[in-house]
Amino acid sequence: MFEIERDIRSGESQHVGDYEIIPQTNVFLVKLRGHHGGFIWNRPRAVIVRTIDGEERILPVQDVTRNILWGMLAGGLLGAMLIGMINRNK
Amino acid sequence: MTDEISTTQSGEPGLDAFQDTMEEFLAAADVRVVYGEPIQHEDTIVIPTAEVLCVLGFGLGSGSGTNTQQNAESPSVGKGNGGGGGGRILSRPVAVVIASPEGVRVEPVVDITKVALAGLTAMGFMIGMMFRMSRRRHALRSIQT
Repeated sequence: MFEIERDIRSGESQHVGDYEIIPQTNVFLVKLRGHHGGFIWNRPRAVIVRTIDGEERILPVQDVTRNILWGMLAGGLLGAMLIGMINRNK
Repeated sequence: MTDEISTTQSGEPGLDAFQDTMEEFLAAADVRVVYGEPIQHEDTIVIPTAEVLCVLGFGLGSGSGTNTQQNAESPSVGKGNGGGGGGRILSRPVAVVIASPEGVRVEPVVDITKVALAGLTAMGFMIGMMFRMSRRRHALRSIQT
C-alpha cells in the first residue's frame, strides 16, 4: 500500500573561518504505491562542527517549542488526573 | 497561406504534470529545504533552520465507451481522462545556527504565539473540567438531601 522511509541526511559542508559546518536532518517519508502522493516530515537534527585541528563536535538542534508543547500536554494530563483523584476522594 | 496545427501526444496528458509535481514533492526531503541560505553579517554567518511537513495526494483516471443506441451500424466512440489532487506544505522555524570566528552555536527559536495558544486551550479545558466536576458534586448532594 505504501512504503515508509526514515533517514538521517547530511548536507553540503560550509566553511566559516576555521570551522567546517555539516548540517544533518531527520527525514520521515511515506510514499503511496504508484507515486500517487505521500507525506514528508523533514526536520533539523544536528550540526556537525569540525575544526582545523580535526576536532569534531555535534551540536543538536532542539525544537524548544515542541518540547514546551509536549510538557504542557503532559502537565495537563497529570493535572486532570490529579483533579479527578481529589474529587473522587471528596 | 496555410494554418498549421501541431499536436504533441506523450502518453497520458496529465501524467507528466503529476510526475513533475511528485518530483517537486520529493525534493522537500532534501537537507537544503530545512537549512536556509546562509546570511552573512560581517564575520558572522547565520543559518536559519525550519521543520517542513509536506502532504500530497492525487489520482488519475481514464475511460472509454461506445454508443450504439442512436446508430447501431456506426456506433459513436468516446473516451476521456482526468485527474485531480491536492497537497499542503507547513513550515515552522526551529532554530538558528550562528557561526562566528569565536565559535559555532545553535540558538532555538521559540514560537510564543503557539505556546500561548496551547496554554490557553489547556487552561480552558481544565477550568471546564473543574466546573463539570463541581456541578456533578452539587447534583449528588442535592439528591442525597
